[in-house]
Amino acid sequence: MSLVPQLLFTGFGIGAIYALVALGFVLLIRAASVVNFAQGEFSMLGAYAMVVLSGLLGVPYWVALPVAVLVMAGFGVLFAGATYWPLRHRGQLPVIISTIGASIFLANTVLALYGPSPEVLPGLFDTPGFEVGGVFMDSQYVAIMVTAAAMLLLQFLIFEKTLLGKKLQATSQDKEMASLLGIPVALMVLITFAYSAALGGLAGILVAPVLFVSVGMGTIISLKAFAANIIGGFGNIPGAILGGLALGIVETFGAAYVSVPYKDALAFGLLLLFLLIRPQGLFGEKIAEKA
Amino acid sequence: MPLLELGGLVARYGAAEVLKDLSLVVEEGEIVALLGSNGAGKSTTLRAISGLVPNVAGRLDFAGRSLIGMKPEAIVRLGVAHVPEGRRVFPGLTVRENILLGGSNRRGAGRRVLERETDEMLAFFPDLKRLEHALGWTLSGGQLQMVAVARGMMAKPRLLLLDEPSLGLAPLVVQQVFRIIAEIRQRGTTVLLVEQNAHMALSVADRGYVLETGSLLVSGKPAELWSNPDVRAAYLGGKTVAAAVG
Repeated sequence: MSLVPQLLFTGFGIGAIYALVALGFVLLIRAASVVNFAQGEFSMLGAYAMVVLSGLLGVPYWVALPVAVLVMAGFGVLFAGATYWPLRHRGQLPVIISTIGASIFLANTVLALYGPSPEVLPGLFDTPGFEVGGVFMDSQYVAIMVTAAAMLLLQFLIFEKTLLGKKLQATSQDKEMASLLGIPVALMVLITFAYSAALGGLAGILVAPVLFVSVGMGTIISLKAFAANIIGGFGNIPGAILGGLALGIVETFGAAYVSVPYKDALAFGLLLLFLLIRPQGLFGEKIAEKA
Repeated sequence: MPLLELGGLVARYGAAEVLKDLSLVVEEGEIVALLGSNGAGKSTTLRAISGLVPNVAGRLDFAGRSLIGMKPEAIVRLGVAHVPEGRRVFPGLTVRENILLGGSNRRGAGRRVLERETDEMLAFFPDLKRLEHALGWTLSGGQLQMVAVARGMMAKPRLLLLDEPSLGLAPLVVQQVFRIIAEIRQRGTTVLLVEQNAHMALSVADRGYVLETGSLLVSGKPAELWSNPDVRAAYLGGKTVAAAVG
């Protein structure tokens, strides 16, 4: 029994989810200096959007999926309008508190509508999976990994090859200078919110068949994305992706070799280890106060 | 009609009145220098013109149109490019990308046009061609200044606002920067230049204004300013005189 490759496979799969959410989280930090504590709620809402579309309204899965992601992009703009826009000139802390408030509001709204019992979403494929060289490839994990890789590639192409991507980067690096060049900064920030919410929503939909759809799924995903960010180096994009994968692998191996109930504790243990030994994270620079 | 006209301009940051009743004009085709010691309001004047100071009152006309209440994005679309203090080159973008984005104000210009003009800009500025793919944060002060000016020129501005282009540069690089400023005017762009280095600024400027704590002290042609005892007094003990003399 090839346990190690099997665990690596599963770890990468769950890590890819954390990486996607962490990516959306980092983009908001960079573009709008927003540390979004409702990032996990984007995933929770994305999954519930699928429950409504595909479960309640009977929309075919492959139609419902892009629609749910688009709905989440629109929700990202609404979210920006409610939590970020009115407070954008007041510094970071009020916006952070506002996202915490939004997180509580969103979780409780869904709780009131759907109740505490988890919903079930089917996977992307009917087949449970296939075996390659002694490793069972769960079809949902394969879908997660392929989608995550495709999203990373898409994002790379947008950011590095298009003028829009350059403008988004310029906005995230120096908003005032971007506005002096005629870049519509407000629009760039809204696009980032929309993209971040769509990414979070997609992650929620992908992970739903593994975790079940519940109100609480947002909180745990938020925490993992936050941890992935710290491990990778705060605000660093490749760092967030690697941090997410590392968390997925550590908790999967921890569940197999130590104890299943302690898998989250082990994941956050990794976070604590980084905070103690390398607080700047994998790719972060030592934080120096600006003169 | 002057290209730029400020009349009784007042600018505030919170309760602090940084500009009090400032009036000046810039005619098309001129290089005008804005001089004064630290805190005189020179940078604030440029920031007010380009829309970065929200609390501005008085007259602020560009090409006969009031800029009061307009956003920076809209002002640069009218043809006012601002190269701010500190250069503000995007650290995570390459030299080429920085310059390319300078054309963001021109809605009609497509990617292909902007890429071609970026090539022209890279050829026009010394040293930039070989740094084309270097990231902003790796550049020296002089290189950053060249990128910042090239990026400003990509906007095809009628009026270029330059804030302290010589700050922190080696003397030879300062001369290079001022040669480029003179050449920019040759090409038909009007320049409003803020400088601590009065000597260099007045060597290229047609006229100069000297500010003192937010209002106008004196204005005139370079020779008149140099012979004005008030100007000399305003600069005595300042590092500009020390630099110019020493």
